[in-house]
Amino acid sequence: MDDGTCQVYEDEIRLLEEEIKLLAEKYEDGQQESTSFSDEEILMSIKSFQREFQGESKGHESPSDLKAQLESLETDLSFLMKFTGIQFTNHSKKTVEKSKNRTVQKHRLSGNCHSLSFQLEFQLLEMQNKENVSAVITDLTIIMESGDDSDVRKFVSSTEEHGNLLTFFRSLSSYAEWYEHRRRTFLHFKVVY
Amino acid sequence: MPGTGRQRRRHFVVRQTEGNGVQGSRRKRKVPREEALAALTPLLPKGRSLAGKMEEGKAYSPDGVFAHLEMLEARAHEAAVKQEATEQQEEKLARLKARVQELRLQRDELRAKVDLQQKGQLGKEGVVSDLAQPSARAVLEWKIKNIKATLQIFYLTGISGKLTKRGVCFCISTAYEGTYLDSYYLDLLTKPEVQIHRHSVPIFIPLEQIAKKYLQTDIRRFLSVLSDHLNAYVGRRYQADQLQEHFSDQIEGPLQRNSLCNLLVFNYNVSSRSKTFPFNVRLLYGDPCGSLPTEVIVSCTPDAPASLAETAAAHSDLFRRVALHKAFRSFSGTEESVDGAPVGHPASPQ
Repeated sequence: MDDGTCQVYEDEIRLLEEEIKLLAEKYEDGQQESTSFSDEEILMSIKSFQREFQGESKGHESPSDLKAQLESLETDLSFLMKFTGIQFTNHSKKTVEKSKNRTVQKHRLSGNCHSLSFQLEFQLLEMQNKENVSAVITDLTIIMESGDDSDVRKFVSSTEEHGNLLTFFRSLSSYAEWYEHRRRTFLHFKVVY
Repeated sequence: MPGTGRQRRRHFVVRQTEGNGVQGSRRKRKVPREEALAALTPLLPKGRSLAGKMEEGKAYSPDGVFAHLEMLEARAHEAAVKQEATEQQEEKLARLKARVQELRLQRDELRAKVDLQQKGQLGKEGVVSDLAQPSARAVLEWKIKNIKATLQIFYLTGISGKLTKRGVCFCISTAYEGTYLDSYYLDLLTKPEVQIHRHSVPIFIPLEQIAKKYLQTDIRRFLSVLSDHLNAYVGRRYQADQLQEHFSDQIEGPLQRNSLCNLLVFNYNVSSRSKTFPFNVRLLYGDPCGSLPTEVIVSCTPDAPASLAETAAAHSDLFRRVALHKAFRSFSGTEESVDGAPVGHPASPQ
């Protein structure tokens, strides 16, 4: 039956196209996640890129577009870090699982908030349903520099248990400010007395 | 017989084929009647002419012949159409088959590429042969992706944003434990003074009040307080949604709630000695930044046994301390409530 065979081929074509799309994305992710360029390399690339393609567009974004995009993103990032007080010193992620509707990534994040430094590891599960993308945190581990404080330890372990990443950051900000304030006050008294 | 119902034509249509057999142009040539008759004479039984038959006025009358001609023409037409359809189908199948082969090859190549990449990563972290000589464009594109990923992380911290021409657009994200929920936008202008240009904060959140108090003096505090309100609202809503989603069998009737989700009223079933009794519960969340109720009233019907009054009190206490959906989860799980006191089971489906 010709129609039946046609349908079988068409179904297979559709499946193959989806699989190819996923594999291509996986490869891209892998490339992105396993590479690292230093700031100097990036600066050099900006310079050489502009020289190489004076006036040429080639269907891609022009060098000035890319440079503008990069600068805009960097400005946004430094603004956020300054505004929130949260500085990320290192961030790496690895795509652990990727299918049509589901992506799981493992994140490693280190940084500090004012003078408090932290190290985090967590898994982020993103699922695509009909209307939107949902994000869920699992396997959260937190290491805090001032982990000796029993209050901090209690807070950290309860946060870890429920995957409360958002609460962690929100509390971190206010705790760090208070901690900073306390430290300065202490230093002040130390100097005065 | 061609039953097409079309009008008898006085001329006939002849298909013209090219000499090499390819049905190229398929032009239709109108043939006058006499020519058609002459062409068809060989089809008639020997010894008779059409003219003679006309005289006999029987089966070979002019109308009968034309009907016959039409039928033959229709048959030829059908055969040609079928032939064409078969050829088209075959072409299509061949095309599809070729496409499948092509895609399979592409897929296998990609698979091999990804496998190699994975092995490379397991062996030597950070060294991928493909990127040995990255172009300047590739480096920049890498950096752009990298920064975008870090900005995504800011989304997870609760406050993220983007500078705009006239100010900044903040995004407040909300979550309940590990599940991220809605995000809300605030487009702020910074000149001549800080003001809210646009926002997506729901109307039942007291945005104006909070702005009046903090926006001019301390933007950070403003965002923090607004974030508290939004997270609390979203947390309450989440609990009610989870209750409806996972424990609908225990709930009797609708779950009544207001838009701010700080007032919930519903009935649920409690079983005691193989009989079920409906409990009514009213939860009031007095603190707009809180996700646990400040007032709980659990009541049972007058005909309920006295022992259930104790259960109602225990439930009331539980709802004050534990998130709503978790409280219901503890009912169906263990015999005891969280603090060890025996709790009556809400009825589950038989």
